[in-house]
Amino acid sequence: MHLIASPQLDQFRAQCRDWLADNVPRAPRPPEGTAMRDFDLAWQRSQYDGGWAGISWPKEYGGRGASVLEQLIWYEEYARAGGPPSGAMFVALSHAGPTLIVSGTEAQKARHLPAILKGEENWCQGFSEPGAGSDLASLKCRAEVDGDHLVVNGTKIWTTYAEHAVWQELLVRTDPDLPRHKGISWAICDMRSPGIEIRPIKAMSGLTHFAQIFYDDVRIPLSNVVGEINGGWRVAMTTLGFERGTGTIAHQIDLANAVEGLIAAARAMPGGMDEAVAADLAKLKSEVLALRSLTVAQVSRGMHEEVPGAEGNIVALYFGELSRRVHGYAFELLGPAALERGGHDWSLHYLECFKWAIGGGTSEVRRNAIGERVLGLPKGPSAR
Amino acid sequence: MIVDLTLSEDQRMIEQGVVDFLRDRLPVERLRDPALACGGAERALWGELAGLGLFGLGISEERGGLGLGLAEEALVARALGRHLVSPAVLAQVAAPHFAEDVRLRAGLIDGSIRAAFANRIDDVSAHLLDAAGAEQVLVIDAEGAALVARDTLGPAEPVEGLDEAVAFARVRALSTGLSRSSAADRVSLMVSMWLTGVALAATDMAVDYAKMREQFGQAIGAFQAIKHQCADMATKAAAAEAQVLHTAVIFENGQNDTAEVAAARILATDAALANARANIQIHGGMGFTAECDAHLFLKRAHLLAVLGSNKAAERRRLLG
Repeated sequence: MHLIASPQLDQFRAQCRDWLADNVPRAPRPPEGTAMRDFDLAWQRSQYDGGWAGISWPKEYGGRGASVLEQLIWYEEYARAGGPPSGAMFVALSHAGPTLIVSGTEAQKARHLPAILKGEENWCQGFSEPGAGSDLASLKCRAEVDGDHLVVNGTKIWTTYAEHAVWQELLVRTDPDLPRHKGISWAICDMRSPGIEIRPIKAMSGLTHFAQIFYDDVRIPLSNVVGEINGGWRVAMTTLGFERGTGTIAHQIDLANAVEGLIAAARAMPGGMDEAVAADLAKLKSEVLALRSLTVAQVSRGMHEEVPGAEGNIVALYFGELSRRVHGYAFELLGPAALERGGHDWSLHYLECFKWAIGGGTSEVRRNAIGERVLGLPKGPSAR
Repeated sequence: MIVDLTLSEDQRMIEQGVVDFLRDRLPVERLRDPALACGGAERALWGELAGLGLFGLGISEERGGLGLGLAEEALVARALGRHLVSPAVLAQVAAPHFAEDVRLRAGLIDGSIRAAFANRIDDVSAHLLDAAGAEQVLVIDAEGAALVARDTLGPAEPVEGLDEAVAFARVRALSTGLSRSSAADRVSLMVSMWLTGVALAATDMAVDYAKMREQFGQAIGAFQAIKHQCADMATKAAAAEAQVLHTAVIFENGQNDTAEVAAARILATDAALANARANIQIHGGMGFTAECDAHLFLKRAHLLAVLGSNKAAERRRLLG
């Protein structure tokens, strides 16, 4: 437990800061559509060209081969410089890439990792199904082996940016006769394959970022299976572990900025900030600081262990629950004015942030994981 | 600024030494014996506590201490909080930071001069806490702290406190002279870690009980109504713990950020109170009895919540 400081790290930080100051896009990020996708990919390419893509990814695949520490310094400076969210690149950078690094073959890594870092190809996720949400292991999307291919039939849902993605990390049931966790495979699906149909779904915020996907005899080469056939559950759990680690750092900065915005708004009210409001805001601000500290603790654990443990659920639960309270507080503080959309658009931030307590594991599933895997309480129905 | 919150090998050993000592010599069950409560057990072990190096842990070597930092003091405070150790021990750990006189400081560090807290109630009075035998008193309120000789405060009148495991006595307290120094921030951060220890211990106690207690043919911890409460307890405690440790490391490196210290106090107070209440609830009927130790954590949390702190002051420091 100590402050990590060295001239090398200071120099690295200064380099990050200088490059970001000159290169963070000035133009606003388009809110949706191919314009948004193109913006996200171009920004990724720009980072790659500058030598800043995949800070902690291996050098042979185009990464920088640096430590987790340097990755964290980059995140900090990125947030300070107001860098845009990774958006359409999120799944590729935060799930698919790290999963391939841990579980992929040499050929899979060589094929995909450089293309991700260069912003040439982005990914989406195909895990949840209409009948398999929190109970992900009950997934039914079927893949049968036919020669040297898998043939996929079924459906996936809640796939963010599906229509803009080139590749998909797809969980399929390859053996329905095995116990449920054991008959699942993790495959790389080409989203341009014949037999894929995408039906966009509009969210309550009004944005249409995700979709349901239907697979009708979609063929995937067996060489695109990551890990063993029927060994996909372990591969997938590794992926979710990454998501529960540091995947939300950029959004945490947004949350901290939102609280500072609320504090400034409260001070600007006629008569200034009253005691009741001060009490609420002090609680929110202390929790935002705690979220930062929890993330530092999580990153610290990450420096000493290969694969993130279940403690990442604590950070994710805290973030999801806190997000709703922070963004929702605008309506209490600002009254009817906050209801108007446009401008800062408190409504958009509020409505969108509900996803943090649902996507990638609901708060309830996270509480189960904390209870069972961190505290060692007896298993509930999920494990039976 | 990058902080590694993982314990170093040295830090692990320091903590383990204290944890082992407390497990053997100051188990929470001691508080059921009136002779050992109210600092009785601790007073009998004062020399050994000094021998462990507790009282000079965060004092530099040139000032007669062990030359470690607030991070190490925080680790020790966490262990002491878990065991509901007397607030007089915390006062003794804190007092050398306020002692400019060399001989006084040396006496506090070797335990030959004892300290206790006087927690100010209002402009004229304070609660002495487990102060039997104390020659020095750390007078504390939300605005600051100062170390004074016990005899400057006049006679004490014993009163019954909410926390029966602590001896309360009313004294006339100084009305001026308290300042919010870096040392006072340090005390607040140590109390926050003490509170975090209470929050962690309450969580462990609830989780252990939920694994063992059976109803409807299974351990109650298998029910989500219980499991989720335990997860929330662990989350609150982890948040407070991370905030205190992060702040301690930054503080030690000369970046005393008052807002971070205040946030730590708000979070730790909330975690200790909420977890102590939930622990009682999870223990059901047993939790309501004096035979079960759950009530002791609640009572201690309430005492520490107002030890040199109040909500308005912490809020002011946090929001600026």
